[in-house]
Amino acid sequence: MSGGALVLGEVRGGRLARASAEAVTVARRLVGPAGSGTVTGLVLAGAPAAAASELARTGVDRVLAVSDPTFDAFHASRTAAVAAAVATERSAAHVVVGGTAAGRELVGRLAARWDAAAVTGVVDLVPDGDRGFRAVRTVFSGRAFEEVRLEGPRAVWGTHPLAFAAPPPGPEAPVEARAISGGPSPVPGTAVGFEAASNASGPDLAEATVVVSGGRGLRAPENFHLVEELAGALGGAVGASRAVTDAGWRPTSYQVGQTGRTVTPQLYVAVGISGAIQHLVGMVGSRTIVAINSDPNAPIFKVADYGVVGDLFQIVPALTAEVRKVRGA
Amino acid sequence: MEILVLVKAVPDPEARLRPNAAGTAPDLDGVKWVLAGYDESAVEQALLLREAVPDSHVRALAVGPAPRTEEVLRAALALGCDGATWVEPPADLAIDPLLAARALAAAGRRSPFQLVLVGKQAMDDEAGLVGPAVAEHLAVPDFGPVVDLRWDAAGGRFRFARAVEGGLERLEAPPPIVVALQQAWNDPRTAKLQNVLRSRRAPIEKVPWPEVAAALGDRRARSVRTAFRLPPPRSGAKMIEYSTPEEAAQKLVRALREEARTFP
Ligand SMILES: Cc1cc2nc3c(=O)[nH]c(=O)nc-3n(C[C@H](O)[C@H](O)[C@H](O)COP(=O)(O)OP(=O)(O)OC[C@H]3O[C@@H](n4cnc5c(N)ncnc54)[C@H](O)[C@@H]3O)c2cc1C
Repeated sequence: MSGGALVLGEVRGGRLARASAEAVTVARRLVGPAGSGTVTGLVLAGAPAAAASELARTGVDRVLAVSDPTFDAFHASRTAAVAAAVATERSAAHVVVGGTAAGRELVGRLAARWDAAAVTGVVDLVPDGDRGFRAVRTVFSGRAFEEVRLEGPRAVWGTHPLAFAAPPPGPEAPVEARAISGGPSPVPGTAVGFEAASNASGPDLAEATVVVSGGRGLRAPENFHLVEELAGALGGAVGASRAVTDAGWRPTSYQVGQTGRTVTPQLYVAVGISGAIQHLVGMVGSRTIVAINSDPNAPIFKVADYGVVGDLFQIVPALTAEVRKVRGA
Repeated sequence: MEILVLVKAVPDPEARLRPNAAGTAPDLDGVKWVLAGYDESAVEQALLLREAVPDSHVRALAVGPAPRTEEVLRAALALGCDGATWVEPPADLAIDPLLAARALAAAGRRSPFQLVLVGKQAMDDEAGLVGPAVAEHLAVPDFGPVVDLRWDAAGGRFRFARAVEGGLERLEAPPPIVVALQQAWNDPRTAKLQNVLRSRRAPIEKVPWPEVAAALGDRRARSVRTAFRLPPPRSGAKMIEYSTPEEAAQKLVRALREEARTFP
């Protein structure tokens, strides 16, 4: 497969979502060396200018910007319809979508609409002779990898958050204002509000490069600040085991594991977490795992890269202080 | 309310995982196939809605080979679904998620529905493609990953939230819709023994294959797995030796910076 690629530029708070810039990295590899195929960016929003200009500096060849406030709330059906039409019009062979909640929902809908092959959660691309690339992705809750070949003339690729580096900003490609031919379709649902998660001040769990999670070993909700301070010092997000969310110390949005979120940060720090299999499946895909636990036989040490056996009430404050010192914060 | 819940048989998530000899697929010899994870929660959510909305029916729908697909449909019946529909493809036809979605939509279209529930992804391939693709084929809106789904009888619409980056986006939408569920927000029930026994004899509706084949046309699976492998085993944690907490912290930070290179 060769030919051009389309990248969906997701707008969050007026800015380009990092995952969309990561998607450009994938698109550039799919189309091959400069000159062999073009990468087009597409931004749909009420005020697309800022995000479109950010996308235009990621190494795409041009950006199409549709200004329409009904796209400020995401609806997979509407975005898929526009993306499929643009991809067809540009004779694209690939559409690349960043690994966000919206992106995950979009891939299947778009592939059905555009009659294309599709793959989600791509963590790497491996050359596949003259067929282009195979996608590498994790399956079974991060317990295994598979390689997938997409057949046919059209493919939709959904990336995994943080798996690809976002291109450094470069010169700005042309941004073209576009209208939707035939006008926008009706909006299928009504947004009635937004509730910020109480751990929303830092990065989102799924997108954070560092996650620090606390477990029952913290003993009481008033001790949870130890975990939050360490996460803050590392610039990371805060997670929790189910023991913590079940006890109501923190809401379920914090939960990492089989019945919570799956995280794959560069660095995962488990504080006072035993390492039950249902917790492990949510974090074993992390690059480096650190466990702090007073029990040398805790199963968490079997998956950890670094272990500290000790009392978290002593280790964690010392670690937070050391991190602050080293990071100069 | 007529509720369709899409389910899939997956290898028991607690079972040990290993690649086949060729390294192209998991070795599924002797594996137990189950209704698990997000799918199990989708069934639970369907049953909760049925309990809340008078005159509701829940039908489980699956595509896949015998015997495992029939087994998970029976598991769904044992949990309390009112009916089950099975699309059994010819044994030599490879099915990928997008082909499965076309088949499921063809089966779903046969009777009216107000809600199609699906897990946000299957526990094995974690593709997350089926729900949104089914919605496209059925030409109805889809929403995911969803939590806190309720029926507003007075308003004649569903109320729910999408779990997105940074929080919950509250939405309302009239039927029919497809909803991909994020688990964790309900604790699935377990089947009562008498229901398990009854489900063994319950009828399962089979969709005539030619009907489904017409919807697939000449399409074949376009995603082909060429390799399957386990991550390199972690050699066990390197334990930090220390005499004071400060020393532990220093050694750990140094290891993260100089060896692992994952210190932010
Ligand atoms: C169907 C199902 C789904 C589940 N889904 C999830 C899920 O998504 N996520 C999840 O996390 N769990 C999940 N669980 C629960 C899981 O099985 C465990 O019960 C849970 O993860 C335990 O949480 P914990 O490690 O915080 O608590 P515990 O297992 O109680 O471990 C506490 C740890 O803290 C250590 N500790 C105590 N005091 C100190 C101290 N002073 N200093 C240092 N360490 C200390 C102890 O040694 C112990 O290892 C699920 C269970 C089931 C049955």
